[in-house]
Amino acid sequence: MSGRHPFTLLALAAALPALAWTLPTPWGAAGTVAVALLLCLLTPGASPGLVVARRALFTAAPFWLFLFLLHERATAVAIALRLSTMIASLVWLVAILPPPRLVEALVAAGYSVHFAFLFAATLSAVPALRARAQHIIDAQRCRGLATRGGPLTRLRALGALALPLVLSALHDVDERALALATRGLSAGARRTPLAPPPDSMTERVLRWALVFGCVAAVAGRVLWRA
Amino acid sequence: MSIRLLALIPVAVAINLALSAAVDAVGLPLFLDTTGTILATALAGPVVGVATGVLTSVTNSFRNPTFLPFVAVQVLVALYAWVAARAGLFRSLTVAIPAGLGLGILAAAASTPISYKIFGCSTSGGVTMITLLGRKLGMSDLLACAFSAFVTDFGDKAVTFGLVATVLHALPKRTAARFPLALRSIGAA
Repeated sequence: MSGRHPFTLLALAAALPALAWTLPTPWGAAGTVAVALLLCLLTPGASPGLVVARRALFTAAPFWLFLFLLHERATAVAIALRLSTMIASLVWLVAILPPPRLVEALVAAGYSVHFAFLFAATLSAVPALRARAQHIIDAQRCRGLATRGGPLTRLRALGALALPLVLSALHDVDERALALATRGLSAGARRTPLAPPPDSMTERVLRWALVFGCVAAVAGRVLWRA
Repeated sequence: MSIRLLALIPVAVAINLALSAAVDAVGLPLFLDTTGTILATALAGPVVGVATGVLTSVTNSFRNPTFLPFVAVQVLVALYAWVAARAGLFRSLTVAIPAGLGLGILAAAASTPISYKIFGCSTSGGVTMITLLGRKLGMSDLLACAFSAFVTDFGDKAVTFGLVATVLHALPKRTAARFPLALRSIGAA
């Protein structure tokens, strides 16, 4: 499955929750969650299937508890199955689709280089800024910043932690803009992907079949209710 | 879109997602996960703000898939912040904090149908407990859900607006002038 085109993987991960919300409960959603968990179990590569399936189940478990606290059994099961489908599908997608491969597919499909840049730059900026946040917290604690106490003390401490983080992040914008301008990232520039993921007719047909399947499920549901 | 504004978007998304570390350190019941969206809008307008909000939801859903359905709230936050910036509501804390409270009401109203329809009001342990409390007080399911959304969003958005106003005022004038809306947001243009 990991060799499939990124758009096919995206289509499958989107179709399963769409079907879970459309098909009659509980059996429709039970079927979609079973498929999603099976996909998780079959995940190859660095994260073995059992690890991926366990991650999906651990993420979904609190919702089951909260839903049984809030709703009667039938409603809780119906919502929980739908949510579990959504969670398992996205956990599977994250495990099987490396973001750089998606970016390559987007560029190869003719999407703007800006679009690809935004996606790739965000994925690299988040862990870097999180690490900087931790450095600022450690540095401010070393200087004697009290992070415990009454709400006002905590709010003041929050300002002392958040302000340097946000200001330093904004300072980076100019450097990034300069680097991008130097590398010729301007509107209309077309990048050549080094290793575009192969796309076959079978996969295109599969993607359209998923779209038509979802539309048919919605139409069927509307007609059934009418 | 200029390269500077393009470079601002990933940084603003990272601000949205990295501030949780600061919140955890002080142990306050806040999210601050729209700070980057509001800041980007106040600096550069609604297109940059909406792009930041959408990208935040997508990126956050890689960590926790339940964030994805709330993308509409991020878009609403960006549009509200744009109106606030054009009106110069970041010019002082005394104006920014009430404007943030207004956003809290709007954000709660926007997130309630999503939370109710998709999650059955079970988005987190805290929300579940507040919804249960609402029910004990005699509220209907939907009203209890709105009550929990209101309690969690109200203070958070006020603090977020206050933080963004503080950041905008702390920016050197030369840096602020490089962004199209920054000076207007703080009432300096």
